[in-house]
Amino acid sequence: MTGYLVRRVLELVPTALVIIAASFALVRLAPGSPFSSEKEISPEIRRQLEAKYGFDRPLPEQFVRYVRNLLQGDLGLSTKYPQRSVNEIIATGFPVTLSLAAVALVWSLLVGMTAGIIGAVRQNTVWDHSAMMAALVGISVPSFVLGPLLVLLFSLRLQMLPPAGWGDWRHLILPGLTLGTIYAASIARLTRGGMLEVIRSDYIRTARAKGLAERLVITRHMLRGGLLPVVSYLGPAIASMLTGSVVVEKIFNLPGIGPYFVDAAFNRDYFLVMGIVLLYAFFLLLMNLVVDLLYGLLDPRIDHA
Amino acid sequence: MRKLRRRIGGSSRSGQPAAWWLGWLLGAAVLVPLVGCQNRQSPFFGTVVPRHGPDELWINNSTEPEWLDPSRCSDSTGGEIIWNTFEGLVQAHPETLAPMPALARSWDVSEDGRRYTFHLRPSQWSDGRPLTADDFVFSFRRLVDPRTASKYASNGFVFAGGAAIGRGEASPETLGVRAVDDLTLEVELVDPLPYFLNFLSFYSFMPIPRHLLEDLERRGIDPDLWTRPEHVVSNGPFLMKEWWFRQRMVFEKNPRYWDASSVRLNRVRVAMVESSTTALNMYATGEFDWPGGSTSLPAEFMDHLSGYHDFHQHPFLAVYFYWVNTKEPPLDNPLVRRALSLAVDREALVRHVTRGGQIASADLVPDGLAGYRGLGQSVFDPDAARRLLAEAGYAGGAGLPPVSLSFNTSEGHKQVAEALQAMWQQELGITVELKNQEWKVFLANAEQMNFQLCRMGWVGDYADPYTFLELLTSDCGNNHSNWSSPAYDQLLEEANRQSEPEKRLDMLRQAEAMALEAQPLIPLYVYTRSQLIKPYVRGIWGNHQDRHPWKSIWIDSSADRSGRHSPTPEAP
Repeated sequence: MTGYLVRRVLELVPTALVIIAASFALVRLAPGSPFSSEKEISPEIRRQLEAKYGFDRPLPEQFVRYVRNLLQGDLGLSTKYPQRSVNEIIATGFPVTLSLAAVALVWSLLVGMTAGIIGAVRQNTVWDHSAMMAALVGISVPSFVLGPLLVLLFSLRLQMLPPAGWGDWRHLILPGLTLGTIYAASIARLTRGGMLEVIRSDYIRTARAKGLAERLVITRHMLRGGLLPVVSYLGPAIASMLTGSVVVEKIFNLPGIGPYFVDAAFNRDYFLVMGIVLLYAFFLLLMNLVVDLLYGLLDPRIDHA
Repeated sequence: MRKLRRRIGGSSRSGQPAAWWLGWLLGAAVLVPLVGCQNRQSPFFGTVVPRHGPDELWINNSTEPEWLDPSRCSDSTGGEIIWNTFEGLVQAHPETLAPMPALARSWDVSEDGRRYTFHLRPSQWSDGRPLTADDFVFSFRRLVDPRTASKYASNGFVFAGGAAIGRGEASPETLGVRAVDDLTLEVELVDPLPYFLNFLSFYSFMPIPRHLLEDLERRGIDPDLWTRPEHVVSNGPFLMKEWWFRQRMVFEKNPRYWDASSVRLNRVRVAMVESSTTALNMYATGEFDWPGGSTSLPAEFMDHLSGYHDFHQHPFLAVYFYWVNTKEPPLDNPLVRRALSLAVDREALVRHVTRGGQIASADLVPDGLAGYRGLGQSVFDPDAARRLLAEAGYAGGAGLPPVSLSFNTSEGHKQVAEALQAMWQQELGITVELKNQEWKVFLANAEQMNFQLCRMGWVGDYADPYTFLELLTSDCGNNHSNWSSPAYDQLLEEANRQSEPEKRLDMLRQAEAMALEAQPLIPLYVYTRSQLIKPYVRGIWGNHQDRHPWKSIWIDSSADRSGRHSPTPEAP
């Protein structure tokens, strides 16, 4: 197990290097300058700005310097927000994105697993059909439709929750539901499918035969089998909740890091783009690793030794 | 039991209708509250009761400003904050924008109009230090100093010697700005610019607390961070108390402001909401009392919103136009350029495409600006356009190669471009290719003159025709037409040396006519600003530079909620 972990972590190093090099090249190859705007700036001032960020040096030298700073944990300065370092921007924005993803995750698991279990246990009943129909709707409705609908209902009509902004827990509910619903729908289908696969297997029959209460059969035995596909889905799902929050953060004006993923690229905010890409890459790699490890814990047939 | 249940509900025949009904119920549960209980026809959009108390205002400033440092700021969202936290020599009247005394109690102008002597009133920085003429000298030198790397350094080129300093050819100490004593400031201009006092209220010309910057440097703190709330020292009506990056800023009244007694608000909370729809929602729920001058309303709701009594619309000092690359055939022929301009049905464009009440105009300088009488060029004359095109040898568009039209990615720009494409095809038989480009790519192409026609908007920095006419001078870096005319340059130079206002405006008018004869750009319309202001918010006037000082705003809890109100008529 430890050997496996060490090997997997070591494998991350070349992957990370490739990501750094590729994103650096892509960002710098894009036409346009971080300092251009409708209004012309004089060559002298452009020189001063470029010197401040080191853009006046040859590209290979800039790359080496970037990697060196990166190893010391320094992600560089933002060109769009000249008073902020990329470290500071991520440090203020990431907790917001994390809490949004946490709410979305709890919501999606709660609703998704409940619906999935009901669907499996009451297979082919009204309950099953309505749960799966709701799931189909959940998967099909994009967040830029669901978000405004929730705002219309809960903020503008019922005036129960704030329509946007950041402050207390109430600001997280609507964005959390918006972001989580699509995952809830997938989880419902996966849970139902996973449980149906094991529902007729011998060990379930054994469990029933030894007189175990139906509730315990469901929670102890069926659910464990049913969870496998959900777990393998959760890794990428959590990663994509973290990285895919752009739309939701825009609609609800949350100061998370989602919008930077797009805006920083548009602004040619070189270091900020790199910082966000690296952060996202790190989470994708981490989540994949965690899922592989969890697999070993949940399914005795998989052994990482 | 399990089996039984499965048999009852299990068949798809009996299961589906049940699910069907459930679906309908669910749908109805969502839809009924959405469409069912519409507010009973209120004349206002959303709530009309102040939510934040009698002396607190919540507004939107759309996006995180780049700099709050007056010397470095170059965006309107930063300007909004600087204008309300700093005070310069003069201030713009909140309605007419006419320059009024601010820190300068009075001023004298020399005979030739090039030397101004400002007499400052005794005042303090927010940390209690006296504010002196030296703080202005420091600020103006810092603005033009290339080491500051200000994108608006050129604003300081109105002072004698400014341009040379900006090019790095002279030291900042040579700038034509001098502190005669603690309360007397003398500035020398390059020309007797008649718009100087108006321009001087711009945010680039605020004083800078030199003592603070030096103190930070001594303490080993990066002086670039001086505008953060933990350090900032300012001299305007409000002080920054909190700054949550990309979320909100909180300001409180500055008790040391020289005119503090006339400031009625105690707190202003400024959010940074980029999406105009989101800002609209927050206005509807009363979270925003006023979405702020920089927040536009979504064009698709404009018709609907304009029916409410809290909707206000006014012209804005900005022009939407297309640059013509006058070196690119067939656009190197002025007849073709003029034909293109005349073939645009601008009235139809603003009525059906942009839909924000914009003013159709074929002029570069908006009519009525600082007493300027607009040229009033024809906004649509397809017959004349066809004649000009035939004269150029392309009757009916025959033999004319396709023309390309570049715009930066945006739904609004795209719609205008598509309308132009259709109009030119229909009226002149010209094939137009649309080139949609991402913003920075678009800018790079504009800079390298890598286009035939490209869209642009220009916001005037001060209320004078020169702010637009300067665009077409030969050495203007923003001139993306490849057109230059020594006669035009000379006429503008002479106009700026002319101290008689009427004569000067006449010369500027001649210059504009000369330029539009050559048609290096195709003006389409003058912008408008549409905004929503809660009926209880008073003291906001619709002026053409969208400058609304918070110090003249107050909350009127007894406001009449039954009908349309006009913002208070009394002047500050």
